[in-house]
Amino acid sequence: MKKVILVADDSPTIRKFVSFSLAMEGFEIIQVCDGMEALEKLPFGKIDLIITDLNMPNVDGYELIKTIRSNEEMKDIPIIILSSLGKSEEIAKGLSCGADSYLVKPFDPKRIQYEVAKYLN
Amino acid sequence: MSKLSNISNMAQVFDKLNDLKMLFTYGQKLIPIIKSLVDFMHETVPLLENINSSISDTTSKIPKASNQINNVTSATELATTEILDIVDSISNDITKLEGALKVHKEESEKRDEVFNEIKLMLGDSPKAKELIEKYEELNVTTRNMDELLTIFAKIRDDAYNITLSLQVQDITSQQLAAVNHLIESVHVRLSSLIIDIDDTDLQEYDSTGIEVPDDATFDPNASYDKSAERQEQVDDIINKENEQASQSEIDKLFS
Repeated sequence: MKKVILVADDSPTIRKFVSFSLAMEGFEIIQVCDGMEALEKLPFGKIDLIITDLNMPNVDGYELIKTIRSNEEMKDIPIIILSSLGKSEEIAKGLSCGADSYLVKPFDPKRIQYEVAKYLN
Repeated sequence: MSKLSNISNMAQVFDKLNDLKMLFTYGQKLIPIIKSLVDFMHETVPLLENINSSISDTTSKIPKASNQINNVTSATELATTEILDIVDSISNDITKLEGALKVHKEESEKRDEVFNEIKLMLGDSPKAKELIEKYEELNVTTRNMDELLTIFAKIRDDAYNITLSLQVQDITSQQLAAVNHLIESVHVRLSSLIIDIDDTDLQEYDSTGIEVPDDATFDPNASYDKSAERQEQVDDIINKENEQASQSEIDKLFS
């Protein structure tokens, strides 16, 4: 059975890049455009890993991670941040919210495959 | 007593007249200045009207510039998606070819094993030897397949590099969104300036006319940096955070 990855990013091209990089590794990808849509999708399917941007409309990445980490059923899902924000304080803030990994844009497809494999293989 | 009082009053009148005279003298000096001020005003008013008109003109063009930026973003997004679809299709084809080639290679290797057994059975016949050598010269399939697999791996790497380079679209769209935000701010300021100068234009500039999506988010400092250096810096920070976390866990265990 394919492992399912939820990709939350308001950029359709980034969602497509991530899907391209991971679909060929045999993962099923669900794409959402912001944190709110991610929170709507999460309870209705088995999600094995989440890749999220930080700057998103409605519910941003920080809020999404905090909500997931505070939910008993979802708190153990690995979360990878994928953001263009690369300052140390931004990284620290993302990790303190509960993210497991942090990748900066533009990302190397092999690196994202490696990060995902760390949690799912 | 009354005479003295009259003299005093007269002195006051002269004082006042003197003051009045000084005022007129001062006024006479002031008149050219006021005149030049009026002349200046006469010259300045058309200039101000000109500035006002220029601001109005510029302000009316800003929404068009802003919409052009939005159009550019949409167009690059569409083109990027199309390119990525093609790259995706190429990658899928490569994966299929790789799979088929690997199966073919395995079969070829099995065939070689069978051939080696036949070779042993043929013995020392000179004709058989000649044919075996000829067959081995022609049988380069396995070697060719390895070369092809290497080429496929290279094409896959190239496809990854294309996706890495195409991410410039996301970075530039964030930069353009930041520019649009800036343009919107300038537009609002200019519009309010026009309203201050001439409030009859209030209705005309009440709406900004710029179509910036409400849900637009962007990183104004987004930069297209493909080097591994940025990710390495992030990894260093994460490693330091993890080390601190591990140390605090160790401390907790021994406390």
